[in-house]
Parts: sequence; structure tokens; C-alpha cells
Amino acid sequence: MTATDYAQAPTPGVSARKREKRRAVRPAVYIVKKLLALLLTLFVASLAVFFSRFLVPGDPARFLLRGRSPKPEALEEITRQFGLDQPAWEQYLNWLSGILRGDWGRSLTYRQDVSDVLLGRLPTTLQLVALAAVFITVLGLFAGIVASLNKGFGDRFILITLTAAGAVPPFVAAIALVALFSVGLGWFPSFGSGDGGWDRIWHLTLPALALGITYIAMVARVTRSSMNEQLLREHVEVATSRGLARGSVVARHVLRNALGPILTVSGVLVAGLLVSSAIIERTFGLSGIGQLLVQSIDRLDFGVVQAIVMVVVAAFVLVNTVVDLVQPLIDPRIAAGTESR
Amino acid sequence: MSQLLQIENFTLGFPGRPPLLDSVSLHVNDGEAVALVGESGSGKSLTTRAALGLFPGGSQSSGIVSVQGLDTLTASKQRLMELRRRRASMIFQDPRAGINPVRTVGDFLTETLVRLDGLSRAEATERAVTQLDQVGLRHAKELMDQHPHQLSGGMLQRVMIAAALLNSPDLLLCDEPTTALDVTTQAGIVRLLREEQQSRGMGMLFITHDLNLAASLCERVYVLRRGEVVEQGQTQTVFLTPQQDYTRQLVEATPVIEVGGLATPVVAGSPLLKVSGLSKTYQLPRGEIITALDDAGFALPEGGSLGIVGESGSGKSTLARLVVALETATSGELTLRDVRRPRRPLKASERKVLAKDVQIVFQDPYLSLDPRIPVGNAVADVFRLHQKQGRKEAKDSARVLLGRVGIGAERFDARPRALSGGQRQRVALAKALAARPRLLVLDEATSALDVSVQAQVLELVEELRDQLGLTILFVTHDLAVVSRLCSELLVMHEGRIVEQGPTARILEDPGDDYTRNLIASRPRPLWDAEPVTA
Repeated sequence: MTATDYAQAPTPGVSARKREKRRAVRPAVYIVKKLLALLLTLFVASLAVFFSRFLVPGDPARFLLRGRSPKPEALEEITRQFGLDQPAWEQYLNWLSGILRGDWGRSLTYRQDVSDVLLGRLPTTLQLVALAAVFITVLGLFAGIVASLNKGFGDRFILITLTAAGAVPPFVAAIALVALFSVGLGWFPSFGSGDGGWDRIWHLTLPALALGITYIAMVARVTRSSMNEQLLREHVEVATSRGLARGSVVARHVLRNALGPILTVSGVLVAGLLVSSAIIERTFGLSGIGQLLVQSIDRLDFGVVQAIVMVVVAAFVLVNTVVDLVQPLIDPRIAAGTESR
Repeated sequence: MSQLLQIENFTLGFPGRPPLLDSVSLHVNDGEAVALVGESGSGKSLTTRAALGLFPGGSQSSGIVSVQGLDTLTASKQRLMELRRRRASMIFQDPRAGINPVRTVGDFLTETLVRLDGLSRAEATERAVTQLDQVGLRHAKELMDQHPHQLSGGMLQRVMIAAALLNSPDLLLCDEPTTALDVTTQAGIVRLLREEQQSRGMGMLFITHDLNLAASLCERVYVLRRGEVVEQGQTQTVFLTPQQDYTRQLVEATPVIEVGGLATPVVAGSPLLKVSGLSKTYQLPRGEIITALDDAGFALPEGGSLGIVGESGSGKSTLARLVVALETATSGELTLRDVRRPRRPLKASERKVLAKDVQIVFQDPYLSLDPRIPVGNAVADVFRLHQKQGRKEAKDSARVLLGRVGIGAERFDARPRALSGGQRQRVALAKALAARPRLLVLDEATSALDVSVQAQVLELVEELRDQLGLTILFVTHDLAVVSRLCSELLVMHEGRIVEQGPTARILEDPGDDYTRNLIASRPRPLWDAEPVTA
């Protein structure tokens, strides 16, 4: 009897073809499910965003008139102009169908379309967040990897530094960075968002660092612990025992396997990044949506507030859906439903 | 004949603690198969890893570990990597943990060829496919694109062996390569290893805790205990005429199939447990239906002992869990003491009543005891719950019972972590017995233990069975263990009962092909086996 008899292998023929088909169908179903979940989340979020306005005290129409005591007719006129006299659910439907057509309504304070107000500010914020994301990825991964691979002093030093950095509020970090790099060394500007291209990046470096510092600490910590967990795995020892160089082992077997948790945490961090950008924008005098959000809440400019919150929610949900869709590519066991980490 | 692996006075330990390995000396010649036998914690894995220059972080070592003249204790990183790439390979215990789960089988096999030998991807793939064919895997091309979770344990271990053979090593190190596998799968792997070792003329160092396995594969053996070599020599000599007490104990503790000493089946008495047409199916999220147990039927008389034998996935654990109501049957009848089991999850009150009659002991005592509860309290709690004893009375009862299973009063307040595996399993047993059950279900209760500890626990169960008149349902993969403990036997395969009857009859004259295969798969010493025809 040869050893072959004992080893089973996928049976060819009909069942194999069936399996092929199922394998092709399953990812499609998975993606469709995730996208449906995305739409549902956005719908629920839109309900929450729109109706929370009615929980806030104050009449937007009155605010527009800046405390002057208006004639009742004038008040009514403004109320009608902004559609505030209709029942709440009808306002909601109008608002929603408007969004779907690309019409976000009119801003009460700017007397402009909300989309125009937003589009003027959105690029700055997106660039700021994108640059911060680059810093977070590069510095966070780097610190985490170095900490995990250098047990003892290196690890402890980085860990303490990270704990300290994680505890620094963004505005304190902003002031410290400005004091050091703009006022002290004069390397970076402390104000404004610059003209396009490199000048923009140069202007945004300090804000992005200040914005990202807490998140760098978080990503580094997750990277470190996730890698530490993988380093103990037997497959890493197997790879080492086969004569692979340390670098290959770390890149192909440790970091590669540690990516899952890192990605999940990064997805969750996105929302925080968009929200804390408000503080940073104010500190560095950038006109982005974060600053706009704070101003608009102050002025009861509901159209703008709702639009910004929807954008933030959409970005958050979208990023996390992408993370969910990427996970099976990183760990094939998730797609098979047999994942057991 | 030159010495391939030579270990001289090798000592390894952590500063400030007694050494883990103490002056270990052993050697492997070219083309020779040598076994390193020892129980857990004996240092056999450390010794083998040292041959590849893999030392635990922060350890201190002295002596010589030389592979073809290269001392791994002093060699440079570059030379060590050279050694691992060209001259020595290692096969690890658990292929599921040892092969990166997120990469494909093909990637695992070809990564050394592509990165170290500079082969193109196509050349590397071709060589890997040839190697997979050679280790007995069919459809090797398709396997290359699959991920480890899509393969069975036996297939994965063949992949691991193929990877180890890819660079044609002179020395093959095997660290318990079949422990995580079923008996019939183990037989195939052992045959493959023997064939490859013989045809390639490789030297092999084979680590195992299983003496029978060592005898079936290796000419020479070293017995390791607490980091010291206690005995060495020709396998046959060491096993048949052991010189040291420890070796003698080990040989005696190793379970063998004995048909002679079996208790005669209990015929009298009404059945305590009666099962008919019992089935359990699970539906996977994708809609597939898995039949874990299919139409099982048997009766277990009061005071009887029934062994359920099968491999992983045979449904034996499902059956045990159904008996103790951890699962609910999909169809069929289960009657315990003339009470029919309702086909729904039991209510808490019903479960409490049932627990007085049936208790279960699980496989892994490291997981089945609460790490925060002192063992004495754990047992006393059962007395309070089921015997309605007061706090003090329960403690006294617990002390007596623990004494009876061999846990002294000084251990009463110890937490499980302070106890050894065998002691923990005794505590788990005491916890089950404290409810004074009529039926004791043992689900692989000795599989995670060392042979010598397993022997003690089995002895204890035997003693308790005879003294308390316990009825026993023993679920295991090991025929030898069953032959010692159970008068009736039930063999399961793929969810079905393929054979049942008196243990002696089944072992002597198996009626089913699968049972025959199972018995034939038990490792047989080289000196007993017919000559290997490759």
C-alpha cells in the first residue's frame, strides 16, 4: 500500500466544479451584504442627524434676525422661505431627496448653498486629514515595529514616549510644535494653509503632526501588541528554522499577519480624526470644515451642521466598510468563516 | 560512519534557576534514525531546537552542539542560516500552527526556493509540486493555491514534510510530528518518514512522548528526564530490558492493547442509559448541513463500562455531550434512568437534577478548572450544591474526597495553576465525583496527560469504578486505554457507529474494515514488523 491512499485531496469532477461556482459566488454575496449594511447605516444616521435638530433649543429663523424684534409677518416669511413651517417628516423627506440630488439646502448665515460653503472648506480638511493619516501610518507603524523587535530598553523607552504622547491633547501639541518648529527653529509656518502643491504640504505639516500625535501613539501600541502576539506563533519559528533572514520573517510572517487588528483600529480612528481637526484648524487658522462646524453650531446654522455631520458619518462608515472588505484579503480564514485567532 | 549531529555536555538554563538541560550528550550518525523520548518538560524540544541554533531568549548555554562540525552555540548568524537552509530541516508538532494561515500552501513551499536559492517562481512551483507528489499528496497543483485552513491536519503535515525535504537536508529533526494527528493518519505519516529517511539516507532525530512510536521508527533511543539523559541504547534493548527505574516505569505506563485482563461485561441490571436513533445535525451559515451524529443506538447497563472510540470528527464527543445534555439531539431517543430526555435545551432546574446522575470530565484540565477558585473550594461547592451540605461540612467532605483521589490536604487552598496536569485532572475528577453521579462520562480525559500520569489517572478511575459501582462512558481515540478500562466497546466513524460489542471480541476479531484499519494503525516496534517494502 502506498502512502498516497491515505492522503485525501479535493475530488475532481462534478463536486469540484460546484465548489468553483460557490467560491465565485461567496465573495459577491459578502460584498453586497456589506454595501447594504453601509446604506442602512447611512439611512439611520441621516435620521439621527436630521431629527436631533429638534432637540436643540432656539429658533433658527429668530437667530437670523440677530435679536431684532421682527414683525410677525417677516418672521413668517423667513420661516416659509427656509421650509421651517412644514411638518418635521416632510422637512426630512425634502432634505433627503435634496441630498440625493446634490442639493444640501441653503445656509442660514452665509446665504449660499450649503454645498458651496462646504466645497470651499472640504479640500483643506481632507488634505489635513490625509497628511495626518500618512504620518500616523508611517510613524505609528515604525514606532510599533521598532518597539516590538527591540525587547528591553528600546521597547520600554518607546512605550513610555507613546504613553506620554497619547495623553497630550491636540491643542497642547499644536502649541508645543509651533513654539518649537515655527517660533524656535523657524522651519515651518505657524499659520494659514498656503497655496497648492508643496507649499500646501509645508503649511500643513505642523497641523497634521499635532492632529496625528494621539493617533500615532494608538496605532503604534496596536502594532506593537499585535506583532508581539504573532512573534510567539509557531509559524514564525518554522520560518526562522527554514533559514529565512530576520527581515523576511518579520515582513512576511509577523507584520503581514498583524495587519488585521491594525487595520480595524485605524478604521475606527478615522471619525476621531475628522472631529479633532476642528481644534487644529482653529489653532492654525485653517479654514476647514472642522472650524465651520463649530461656527455653525454657534449660529444655529442647521443646514451646514447637518451636512458636515453627514459627511463625517459617511466618511467613517465608508472607511470601515472598506476595512471590512479588505479583511478577507488579508486573512482568508475570515472569508471561509473559520477564522480563529 | 561520520557523526552528523553531536551534542556533548550541553547545558541550558536561565540565570538564577536550575538548568533546563543538564549535560545532555547524544549523537546521530549519517543515515541513522534516533528517537529522543521523554515526557512534557523533559527538555526534548529544547535539545532539538538547539541543533538549529534556536535558543529561547535570555537563556545561557554551554557545551557543544555540532552539526557536521558546525557548533551552533558559537556559529555566526550567517553560518546558522546556511545550516538551516542546506543541511538540517525541522518538522514541527502542529502543522496548523506551523504553517502561516494567511498565506497559500504554495507560498509556504516556494518562499525559501525563491528567496534563498534564487529560483524563478515557475521553477520553484514546479519543484514544490514534484515534492508534494512525492510525499503522497494528489492534485498537488491545485493544493498550491489553497490556504492551510482548507486542508486536513494529515495533509498539512505532509506539506510540512515536503517543505522540510525541499532542500535535501542531511539531518531531519522531527518534533512530535504526529501528536496532533489521528491514529490512522499518524500511521501514514510515520510510513512516509521512514521511507524518506531510508531512501535518502538522512539522519533523523525523532522526538516523541510515545514509546511505541519511537520503537516503530528508530533503531536507537535516548530517554530524557528533567533535562538529563537517563538511558540510551538500541531501541529493542532499552524497551525490552530497561536498566533504569524511570525507563521501566515509562515502559510499563505505556498503554498496550491487552485483551486478557478485561472484566466480563455486566449483563444483569436494567439499562441505566438507553439511546436509540440519536442524531445531531448542525446547519452552517452557508446552508450546508453537517451530520455530526447519525442514528446512534446502544444501551449501557448499571455498573457497566462502555468505551467510545473514534478519530476527530467521528461524532464521539457529540455523543458524550448529548448524554450530559450540553447539546440537544435533532432526532432520536435518549433515556436515562427511565427518564426520557426532552428534545429542547434543559431548564436550569432540570439540569441540576440531571447533574446529580451524570457528570463529565473533559480533556484539558488546564481549561476546565476555574483558575481563580482554590481547588478545595471548587470541590466543596459541588457538595454544597448537590448534597445540600453546610459550608464546613462540605469542606470536610471535599478534603476526604480529594485525599481519596490523591490530592493531599496541603493542596486544599491551592489554585489550579499551582498544580501539575495530572493533579488538575484528579481535581476535575473529584469535582465530578462530589455530585455522587451514577454515570461518569470521560471525554478524552487522559489524552492531554503524560503516559505515566495517564496510567495513574486510569488506575484511579478503575479503582473508583470498582468501589463506587460507577457506570462509565469513556470517550477516547486510544484503543489501548479502552481495552484497559471498558468491557464494552463502540467504534465510531464519520458520525456513525460502525461496530459495537464486547471489547475483547472487537479487538480480537474486528468485524468492520474501519476497526481493522484502526487496530492496524497502532505503531508496531521495528523488530515486530514485517520488513519494510518501500
